[in-house]
Amino acid sequence: MALLEIKNLRKYFSGLAAVDDVDFSVNDGEIVGLIGPNGAGKTTLFNLISGFNSPDRGKVFFDGEDITALRADQVARKGLGRTFQSSTLFMQSTVFSNVFSAFYRQYQQPIWKAFLHTPKVNKEEQAIKRAAIEIIEFMGLAAHLGDELATNLPHGQQRALGICIALATEPRLLLLDEPLTGMNSSETMELVGKIRQIREKGITILLVEHNMKAVMDLCDRITVLNYGRKIAEGTPEQIRKNREVAEAYLGREEA
Amino acid sequence: MEKSSINRKMSKSGLIFGSMVLAAMVLLPLAVKNAYVMHLFIMAYIGILLGMTFSMLFSAGLITLGAGAFYAIGAYGSTLLSTRLGLSFWAALPMSTLITGIVALAIGSIIVRHPGMAFTIITLLFAHVVIQATGQMEFFGGWGGIIGVETPDPLGPIQFATKTSFYYLILFLLLLTALVFHALYTSRIGRVWRSIKLSPPLAESLGINLYRYRLMAFVVASSAAGMVGSFYAHYFQMVTPEAFGGWLSIYIQLYAVLGGLEFYILGPAIGAVIMTFVPEYLRIAKEVEPIITGVFLLLIILFFSGGILGTLRRFWRAKRPVVFRVKSRHKLIAGPNVLRDE
Repeated sequence: MALLEIKNLRKYFSGLAAVDDVDFSVNDGEIVGLIGPNGAGKTTLFNLISGFNSPDRGKVFFDGEDITALRADQVARKGLGRTFQSSTLFMQSTVFSNVFSAFYRQYQQPIWKAFLHTPKVNKEEQAIKRAAIEIIEFMGLAAHLGDELATNLPHGQQRALGICIALATEPRLLLLDEPLTGMNSSETMELVGKIRQIREKGITILLVEHNMKAVMDLCDRITVLNYGRKIAEGTPEQIRKNREVAEAYLGREEA
Repeated sequence: MEKSSINRKMSKSGLIFGSMVLAAMVLLPLAVKNAYVMHLFIMAYIGILLGMTFSMLFSAGLITLGAGAFYAIGAYGSTLLSTRLGLSFWAALPMSTLITGIVALAIGSIIVRHPGMAFTIITLLFAHVVIQATGQMEFFGGWGGIIGVETPDPLGPIQFATKTSFYYLILFLLLLTALVFHALYTSRIGRVWRSIKLSPPLAESLGINLYRYRLMAFVVASSAAGMVGSFYAHYFQMVTPEAFGGWLSIYIQLYAVLGGLEFYILGPAIGAVIMTFVPEYLRIAKEVEPIITGVFLLLIILFFSGGILGTLRRFWRAKRPVVFRVKSRHKLIAGPNVLRDE
């Protein structure tokens, strides 16, 4: 069953098609890769799905519901989490505060009780603090639970922290925007393993990534964009053999 | 409940120091017999309260230059309720606070949609409009203002005739507001504000409705400014447009900057006290005083960008290494600074 379905999505920026008539879907429990050369429209597509931009045409369905017109925060509350390409974190906060602040959907106690700090609210906050620590431990950042500010983390760990934050929203679908950028090979291997574990927790994943080997390794299916258009779709095996994909990446062979 | 240091506790020395400051504030009128000095303290506390409203918006990533406008709305609201309807201060204070809150809700629901520079400029213009409107309109007494605002009715045996009684009144309002603001900052509302300040897109991706939380900060902060305005009107027993215009909103901002922008309550407290008393005792030559004050502030902002408290914290942290280790799953022994930045 399609958890995410995109139909004829189109977005123009000052006359140029950033996303042009793209449709594809992500099934429940899948890891789907979105690849393409720089400027192919991958991040724009992410922004359209997650509500940070609205499309000129087309529809986005999440779990059968039309979410095209929703704002980013409404989309997030539906259970669609995302990370950002540049390290978008709460840079001047500690690692723990980053993840703790990322919990928002889970609070059951009404907001006026939160203001009064009732015992139930405190209990709820304790539970959320534990959940935050659990996520930090899961992503291998436990060593930074102390005083470390996010801005002082090495790049690879900032990426991991970005995923921690997205996981804290307890998404059903997680959009990962270039999670492996700037990571060395051992960090890459570790994160690939983590992404698999995230899927095993029942979270569906759509990722944009330039590391081809990792994408081929991880994904059940791959969609390829070029100049805003979908040029191929299929299993990693099919994509590897696809001539048009090779051309998009390597340039057309002069015959 | 788990006893990990992830749960921030106030340090013992901090608690002792805080209690001492509080005791000093309560006992102050016993030591200060000079009415003018008492007046300066009252003005300093008004400054602290106004600075705190600036800081609340700052905590949500909004920079206002219009705090004076809502201070004026509260003052004029209370004045009209008192002079036209004959309401006592004790009714006019909550009512004018509410009126200011409603005005803030109406204005805020439009301008909070444009955060950043646009918000700052609109608040500045709004402050200007309020001053002009009160000055131009006969209903508000024109540029001459309105005189004859009643002092608060006696509260049991307490007469509001002396500076001391007004001092305790503003002290009560100050502590009450600080308590309410502190409760907000330490709740998830404060965390949401901070998230919005640090990264609006990231906050949005968590499901936070930025507009609603910015508006909440705007209404709460503006209402508090309105409440202070009400106190002002009944303390001075008059209002004039000039009292709320000119440099006031800039000064309110400076209190917070000088004390330390990241300290939403203590920052304005230290800033307002210094900026009330230091120029007063620098009055060697009255004409030079604003220049000295201005240069002094420029130096602070240029070389101590964290303000007084931010600079002190930097020294304090540099002196003390932070030790932390993870003991086992879910049990964390962390350094004392683990949540310090919240």
